[in-house]
Amino acid sequence: MSNPSLPDAGATAVAPAMATQRPRPRRRNKRLKAWFPYLLVAPAVIYLFLITLYPGVYAIIQSFHAVKFGPWQPVGFANYVKLFNDHQFWGALWNTFVIGSISLTLQCLIALTLAFYAYRDPWVQGWRIIFLVPMLFMPSAVAFIFKLAFLDARVVSDLLIRIGLIDGNLAIQSSIWMSRGLLIIADVWQWTPFLFIIFVAALQGQDEEVEEAARLDGASWAAIFWNISLPLMKPVIAVALILRGIDITTMFTNVFIITKGGPAFGTETISYFIYRTGFKFFNFGYASAASVVMLIITIIIAQLVVKRAFVSVRT
Amino acid sequence: MASQRRKRGENLFVRYLILGAWALFCLMPVLWFLSIGLRPRVEIITPQPIYWPTFSLDAWHMIWEDWPMAKYLRNSILAIFGSVLIDLVLGIPAAYSLARYEYRGRDDIAFYILSTRMMAPAIVAIPIFFLFRNAGLLDTIWALMLIYAAINLSFVTWIIRSYMLDIPKELEDAARTDGASDMRILWEIIIPAILPGIITASVIAMIFAINEFLFTLLIASTPNAYTMSVALANFTGGSDGVIYNAIALVAFLAFVPVFLVVVAIQKHLSRGLTMGAVKGG
Repeated sequence: MSNPSLPDAGATAVAPAMATQRPRPRRRNKRLKAWFPYLLVAPAVIYLFLITLYPGVYAIIQSFHAVKFGPWQPVGFANYVKLFNDHQFWGALWNTFVIGSISLTLQCLIALTLAFYAYRDPWVQGWRIIFLVPMLFMPSAVAFIFKLAFLDARVVSDLLIRIGLIDGNLAIQSSIWMSRGLLIIADVWQWTPFLFIIFVAALQGQDEEVEEAARLDGASWAAIFWNISLPLMKPVIAVALILRGIDITTMFTNVFIITKGGPAFGTETISYFIYRTGFKFFNFGYASAASVVMLIITIIIAQLVVKRAFVSVRT
Repeated sequence: MASQRRKRGENLFVRYLILGAWALFCLMPVLWFLSIGLRPRVEIITPQPIYWPTFSLDAWHMIWEDWPMAKYLRNSILAIFGSVLIDLVLGIPAAYSLARYEYRGRDDIAFYILSTRMMAPAIVAIPIFFLFRNAGLLDTIWALMLIYAAINLSFVTWIIRSYMLDIPKELEDAARTDGASDMRILWEIIIPAILPGIITASVIAMIFAINEFLFTLLIASTPNAYTMSVALANFTGGSDGVIYNAIALVAFLAFVPVFLVVVAIQKHLSRGLTMGAVKGG
């Protein structure tokens, strides 16, 4: 880059008359300058293309084939037709929606309540450190520990019996709703802190003078929170819920370890459905069709919701 | 005035009741973790749960002597640090480009990078499995490193971009009039100024990499490339059943360093977790 400009700089210093030579190298420089930002961002984008676009195209092509062992057999839309008639697929979508929405709603309400009480507290740092703890355990280990406490060692049943709330052991494994509840409790325990930390930061970042003014006018903390803080927090809440929502809808680890999708496929999420058809039954073409449907849903949601939320919070 | 304020303010009893109750709910399973990790195996699954177990280091001896836990730990550390390094090498220039230049398609590129975060692992798992198999990378730490880097690249880029946007442009312009090249400005002015952002991004990428489960499960199919997270899931195999005390102890040992690091950066945590969208706290 510096080589072509060197003789040019010398030339202009010697004779101003030769200034006509100047534009050429500078134009080259300019062209490089125009490309420079693209060059900087290109490696990251190419890397992400490899890991998202390539698999996306691969999955689309594979979804039109019957792929078990051996060569791919083209089957047209057969995988999709089968998929739309597969009640286990629709069940998985429904389970993902039910478990995800209940879990996300609970986490949001709990995190908002905790943030409301904690952000003005003198020990807010301490609360934050305590509440953070569950988030930092490996999810696979958390899943095992919840499985042990609720199912294998029945500690939770035992405690509830001691308190006198129930008479016998809970039959969690034979109840769809109790199994879903177990997944929800594990998720709420581990990931409510994620929202809490974000909400507390958002509340602390708000203008104290507005609050003070409202206080002097005699407004209660609850009224201030409800009428001033919460509306201001809306964009932040949207971003936080989107990020959490992405992780909840792709829930896999807890299903894999705690319930295996049972009983009666009642806790099978869409991720587990794809895993099961692909890597348990080696029906890759069929699993790819499910992946493509999920991909389309993801793209629609990304364009409609995520783009707007992230833009609104930045401005 | 002060007493009046307190009277009008919310009830402190309710505040501490609620915060205290949640703290208890947070910490009880952690105590349970410890108590499982430090008890003998025979006291884990019993007809009646045992609340005061005998202290035992069975699990400790088991993980170091019967399993190559040191190897799994090494795999985890190599894959995770390698992936964070890849993310920084790719993410810092990308973030700089997105934060500092005006050009066509910039916002679309930024959104594309963000949207890769939304890709469910299950969607891309099958093609990536075949991609790595054809490349002969299945069952290696390299594959894990590449996949962790891909998962976290969007986060890292957005967090670092957010910190770069905070640096006043005048700082750069001054250096530019002194004749510094763009790369020198990035290296000598921007990077030192956003070091907290880089550290935050690295720590969050590290946590996500430790937690990653589905890809690791598919890519690391033999102990050759097991990381801690997947090694745990495989403590369930064999005729022994699930070896809970080993799982609990390993999880606790992995938790401690992560906790210390996160407490050190806790001021930046909210900003990191929202990819730079929230700045307070």
